[in-house]
Amino acid sequence: MTGFWRGLWLIASIELRQRVRGVAWYVLLGVFMLLLLVVTVLLAITLGGIASASGAQTAGPALFSTVIYFVLLLGTLVAPALSGNAINGDREAGTLATTQVTLVTTPQLVLGKFLAAWFTALAFLAVSVPFLIAAQVLGGVQGSTIGISIAVLAAELGVVSAVGVGLSGIIRRPLFSVVVTYLVVAALSVGTLIGFALGGFALQTHHTVHASYDNGSGVCQVQPDYVDSVPGFDKVWWMLAANPYVVLADAVPAHYDSSGNPDDLFGSLKFAERGAQIAPVIQTSVSDCTPSIVPSSPSAREVIDSTVPNWFVGLLLQFAVAVAALIGAVTLTRTPARRLASGNRIA
Amino acid sequence: MSEQNSDCGIRVVGLARSFGKVAAVSDVSFDARPGRVTALVGPNGSGKTTLLLMLATLLVPERGSIRIDGHDPVTESREVRSLLGWMPDVLGSWAALTVRATLELTGQLYGASRNAASVRARELIELVDLVEFSERPTRVLSRGQKQRLSLARALVHDPRVLLLDEPASGLDPGARVALRELVRRLAGEGRTILIASHVLSELDEIADDAVFLERGATVTEERVTAAQSKPREWRIRTLDPDSLAAALARESMTPRSTSDPAETLIALPGERAAAALLGRLIAEGVPVTEYAPSVGDLEQTFLDLNGGGAR
Repeated sequence: MTGFWRGLWLIASIELRQRVRGVAWYVLLGVFMLLLLVVTVLLAITLGGIASASGAQTAGPALFSTVIYFVLLLGTLVAPALSGNAINGDREAGTLATTQVTLVTTPQLVLGKFLAAWFTALAFLAVSVPFLIAAQVLGGVQGSTIGISIAVLAAELGVVSAVGVGLSGIIRRPLFSVVVTYLVVAALSVGTLIGFALGGFALQTHHTVHASYDNGSGVCQVQPDYVDSVPGFDKVWWMLAANPYVVLADAVPAHYDSSGNPDDLFGSLKFAERGAQIAPVIQTSVSDCTPSIVPSSPSAREVIDSTVPNWFVGLLLQFAVAVAALIGAVTLTRTPARRLASGNRIA
Repeated sequence: MSEQNSDCGIRVVGLARSFGKVAAVSDVSFDARPGRVTALVGPNGSGKTTLLLMLATLLVPERGSIRIDGHDPVTESREVRSLLGWMPDVLGSWAALTVRATLELTGQLYGASRNAASVRARELIELVDLVEFSERPTRVLSRGQKQRLSLARALVHDPRVLLLDEPASGLDPGARVALRELVRRLAGEGRTILIASHVLSELDEIADDAVFLERGATVTEERVTAAQSKPREWRIRTLDPDSLAAALARESMTPRSTSDPAETLIALPGERAAAALLGRLIAEGVPVTEYAPSVGDLEQTFLDLNGGGAR
C-alpha cells in the first residue's frame, strides 16, 4: 500500500511544483491578503465601535467568522480555476499520456491531482491565519468555533477541488470543465438560495387575522376577517442545507451574547436558516377588547434549540457529488482506453 | 517467418481500431525483433500514431492482438509499461519543472527510488546532450531540445522495447547523427526498436526492417517485394556529359536529364544491373564521379507503394 501513497504523492508534488512555481500565484495570494487586511481593519473599526457601544462584547467572534466566510467566498471562487483543468489541461499540454505510460495508476493520478488542488485552495486559508489570530487577540472566540469552522471550511474547499478535478477528467475541453465547475459552485451557493426563495413564495399560505376592537361604548365589535399570504419557507428550508455558507453556519455551535443574540456571523446565519424551519403562524387574533399578553417572538437561542441541525446532510450530499465526479474522472481517464471521442487525440 | 523466440520483441496480429466511423487501423500485422531497428513507414493518416498508442498501452484495440515481450498491453499493462519506452510525437513537458526534475520525477513514477532516479537523470542528461540546460525549466527549451528530453524520458527506466514516434523531427544535423548512433547502440544491446517516421532518408540509414502502412493496414510482403524490384532511377554524375550520353546511347538506354547538366538519371532494374552498367561505363572511360540510387530504398518503396495504392 505504500506504493499507492507514494505514487499519489508524486503526482501531487508534480502538480504543486507545476502550479506553485508561478509568480502569478504569489501575486494572487498577496492580493487576497491585502483584501483580508482591508476587511479586517474596516470590521475592527466598525465592530469595535458597536461592541463598545453595546457594552461587554468584543468584536473577536464577528471578525473571526467574517474572515472565515471571506476565505470560503474567495476559495470557492478561485478553486474551480485552479482545479477545473487539472486533467484535460494536461492532455492538451501533452503531459497526460506520458504520465499514463508510467507505472502510476489512474486512481493515483486523479487523487494526486485532487490532493494538489485541495492544498492549493487551502493556501488561502493559510494566508488568512494572521487575521484569524488577530480576531483571537480581540478575544471572545470560542475554541469550538475555531476548530469546527476551519474543519468545515477545509471540507468545503475540498469538495470544490474534487468537483473541479473530477469534471476536468470527465469533460474534454478545459475551458468548458472550468465553467461547469463554476456552475456547480454557483448552484450550491446561489442556486440553493434562489430555489429557497422562489419555492417559499410559490408555496405561500394564507394568514387570517381576526380583529375586533372596542368601539368606545364597551361593545366589542368584530371586524371581518382579514386574509393575507405568508411565504411557506418551512416547506423548502431543506434546500438551504446544501449551501456551503449554511453548512458552515449550521455546523458551528452557536454562542450567544448576554442578551441571547448570536455573537458571530455563523450564529446569525444559523438563526435565519433555522428560523425558516418554523411553520408560519396562520391565524392571529388582534383585539383590544380583552387585554391579552402579546406573545414575544422566540429568541435566537430558542429557535436554534428547537429546530433540526442539517449541516451533515448538506455536507454528505456535497461529498456524494465530489466522489461521483472523481469516480467519473477515473473511469473516463483510465488507460488503455476503450472509448475515445472522435477527433480527439489521446496524447 | 522468424526463428527467434516469438515471446521477444513486438508481435502484432490482425490489429484494428476505429474512431466512430473512421477506421484508423484496420488490419495491421508485423513482428519487430529484438536487436533490430524496425521502421514503421506510411503517409500521414495511415494509422502510425494510432498503432503506437495501442502498443503503448493507451488504447484498446477492437480486434487483433499485441504481444510485447510476451505481454498483452490490455490485460498486463503494468508489465508492458515497465519494459516499454514511448516517445510520442507530441512534445509535452512539465513547463515549470527543470530538465533534471522532469527526468527524476519520471524515474520515480516508474518506481525508482529518489537516489536511483537522480543518478539515472544525470546519465540521461549527458546522453542526450542537455547538460547546460539541466537546471532550466523545460518551457525554455527549443523544439530539438524538447525532442531530446522526450527521448531521455522514454529511456528513463531502461526499457527493453522502444517506440519512437518521429524522433528526428526538429533535430539539427549533429543531433540527428547522435540520435542515429544512439539508436544503433540501443539496438545493439538487444532492445527492440520501432521507429515511426516519414523522413525516409533517415530511416534508411538506421532501420534493419521495415513495416509499410497504408490506410490503416500493413502492406503485404509480396507487394513490398514487387515494389522493391521495380526499375528505379540511379543518379550518375560525370565530368564529361557528352561521353556519358554517347555510352548510354550505345547501351540503347534513354536517360532523363535534370537541371544540372553534369547529372543524369537512368532507370535500372535492380542493383545487379546497376553494378554491371557502372563497370561498362568505367571500362569505356566515362569519368563518373557519383553513382547512386536517386532516392533511398525505403523512399523508393514507399513512393512505389503509394503509386500502386492510387492506381
